[in-house]
Amino acid sequence: MGKINFLSLIVFILLFSMNSFGDDDFDDFEDEVEIKNIYDPFESYNRSMTSFNDSLYIDVLKPIDSVYKTITTQGMRNSVSNFFNNIYFPMHFVNNLLQLKIDGMFIESGRFVINSTIGIFGLFDPAKSQFGLYPHKEDFGQTLGYYGVGGGPHIVLPFFGPSNLRDLFSMLPDAAVSPIDYTQRSWWTITNTWTGLFTIKAIEKLNNISLYSTQYEQIRKDAVDLYPYLRDIYEQKRDEEIRK
Amino acid sequence: MRKMTHWILTLFMMFSLTQVLSANEEEVLKDHFLDKLQEVKVVVQNAKISKEKKFEDVIKILTPTFDFELMAKLSLGRKNWNALSKSDQSRFVSIYTDRMKKSYSAKLDSYNDQIIKITSVVKKKNRMFIKTYMQSGDKGLDVVYKFYKPKKPKIAKDTWLIYDVEIVGISILKADKAQFKDFLQTKSLKELMVALQEQK
Repeated sequence: MGKINFLSLIVFILLFSMNSFGDDDFDDFEDEVEIKNIYDPFESYNRSMTSFNDSLYIDVLKPIDSVYKTITTQGMRNSVSNFFNNIYFPMHFVNNLLQLKIDGMFIESGRFVINSTIGIFGLFDPAKSQFGLYPHKEDFGQTLGYYGVGGGPHIVLPFFGPSNLRDLFSMLPDAAVSPIDYTQRSWWTITNTWTGLFTIKAIEKLNNISLYSTQYEQIRKDAVDLYPYLRDIYEQKRDEEIRK
Repeated sequence: MRKMTHWILTLFMMFSLTQVLSANEEEVLKDHFLDKLQEVKVVVQNAKISKEKKFEDVIKILTPTFDFELMAKLSLGRKNWNALSKSDQSRFVSIYTDRMKKSYSAKLDSYNDQIIKITSVVKKKNRMFIKTYMQSGDKGLDVVYKFYKPKKPKIAKDTWLIYDVEIVGISILKADKAQFKDFLQTKSLKELMVALQEQK
């Protein structure tokens, strides 16, 4: 009798395990592919702003981008991007310092010296190609994230695209050390008027679009719903930048 | 005492053997992955064949390495997957697989001048992450290929299969899961399948 009970128990366990076989994949992977719940109280506004930005890209920026691409080479566009990366050195340096990333601080300093001189005012990146010094870009949003500040509500900005409250607030301290400004400062800045600021920011934005338009169009194609797709991509990217 | 020494030695040998086999497994997968990349490169750089033929050949090379079925299932999540009938589950897998292949084909042109370097291989239980740096001209991207080893080998598939790809820390699986979850808050699974099918 004891033997029969024992056998029944085995059969019961086997049947139970067989029932759960179908969900094995979920048991194995679900934690790993768990998605973050993004706080989104402004969803309706964000959706409208995403549609606005997308239409702006398709109807206005894309045609301008195609003209820009015909009058510039890929090398020229890379140089413009290198130039902007180089002038943002104070922001990268300060935020590496605030996060006590000493190696990042030294590498960014080395990159600035090399690229500003051998790289002709930052137009080229010999620090990476010749000296193997890869960028350690840090901004104030990453600094806050490093010390545990969450992203807060997701906010889509006109022209700039996805952001969140933490990153939006972080634009202020980062702007304070940016060489692109609208007022006279005690140290050298590229511009000190609103017109200058908007012109330079527009060039930077247009150049970025020319470098990443293929990726954006691929995202548009892969999206069944553009807003949450972009929102998740942005938040995942920021989390990774903070983790690094 | 002699018996104990014997046991310790046996355990030590078993441990060492496991370590060697595990290290070999990483090397084998790394070589296999590099071979696949090389095969893809040869096809992409072949100027004599049409774009359609290139796409067909590249998909043929890569299909045994990707577990599209698992990716489709995980992107939908347990609740939504279980809500589908068996035939709709198969239909969803087929639509998802076609979409992934189409998405890959759209990127084919950009693979022409890319150099892919393996920066490290990390093994955790039945997972293996191949970390790469994909360089194109002046710019580079960190891409991680996430592999797992199924408990039972799958027909016409490799031993280790890709279940997710992370591009600069963005998991394509998680991004899909997030957009599908949002879509399904206001629309049905059937509508999701139609939307995926209509993607160009």
